[in-house]
Amino acid sequence: MVKFLKPNKAVIVLQGRYAGRKAVIVKSFDEGTRDRPYGHCLVAGIKKYPSKVIRKDSAKKTAKKSRVKCFVKLVNYQHLMPTRYTLDVDLKDAVSVDALQTKDKKVAACKATKQRLEERFKTGKNRWFFTKLRF
Amino acid sequence: MVAAKKTKKTHESINNRLALVMKSGKYTLGYKTVLKSLRNSKGKLIIIANNCPPLRKSEIEYYAMLCKVGVHHYNGNNVDLGTACGKYFRVCCLSIIEPGDSDIIKSMPGDH
Repeated sequence: MVKFLKPNKAVIVLQGRYAGRKAVIVKSFDEGTRDRPYGHCLVAGIKKYPSKVIRKDSAKKTAKKSRVKCFVKLVNYQHLMPTRYTLDVDLKDAVSVDALQTKDKKVAACKATKQRLEERFKTGKNRWFFTKLRF
Repeated sequence: MVAAKKTKKTHESINNRLALVMKSGKYTLGYKTVLKSLRNSKGKLIIIANNCPPLRKSEIEYYAMLCKVGVHHYNGNNVDLGTACGKYFRVCCLSIIEPGDSDIIKSMPGDH
């Protein structure tokens, strides 16, 4: 009886090109909109996970290995698996629905989320979110 | 012997309560609608049959854990649960949205 599909919830995308990727809900539309008359949400997720960094790596190598490639998508609730994890990264100003209208706005939104997620990865917090789901 | 008798009695009482919910309350039957009711936090109690596939069972339990909604594992398979609901088809999982006159939500939830 508690709503759990709220912003900052970590979810796993189940269908589509990004199936199996972890994402975080940025904005949720429970009632749906005119174009999408079903419950859906705007998620920002990881397209390519950062590789494993070992102590032996040089600074250049760690920088290269810690790169995160992101995606931004509107996903139906039915195509998500919610988890008990949350990721409080402020993505609301970077990612919005009108960012998905044109390609260059989408690229800009992905770049902004890439920056935020990379710095979050470098702090070492939310380690679960940045590990690839093995299946 | 005494324990078996006791479970029989509580099992019948679940059936009675379920019948009352079917008559007076709101419910949905089936996996897809159960998940829908959990997502929009309308479900108040989930009942799962005992021959539900384990992956589906654990998925429903996980959603219910996120939602803080009780799950009751019905002592019977989907055929029995369908019969208990008064339907002529099999019901693997159901979600009670409004209990109506029944007290199933108050008396069942701690149950697992």
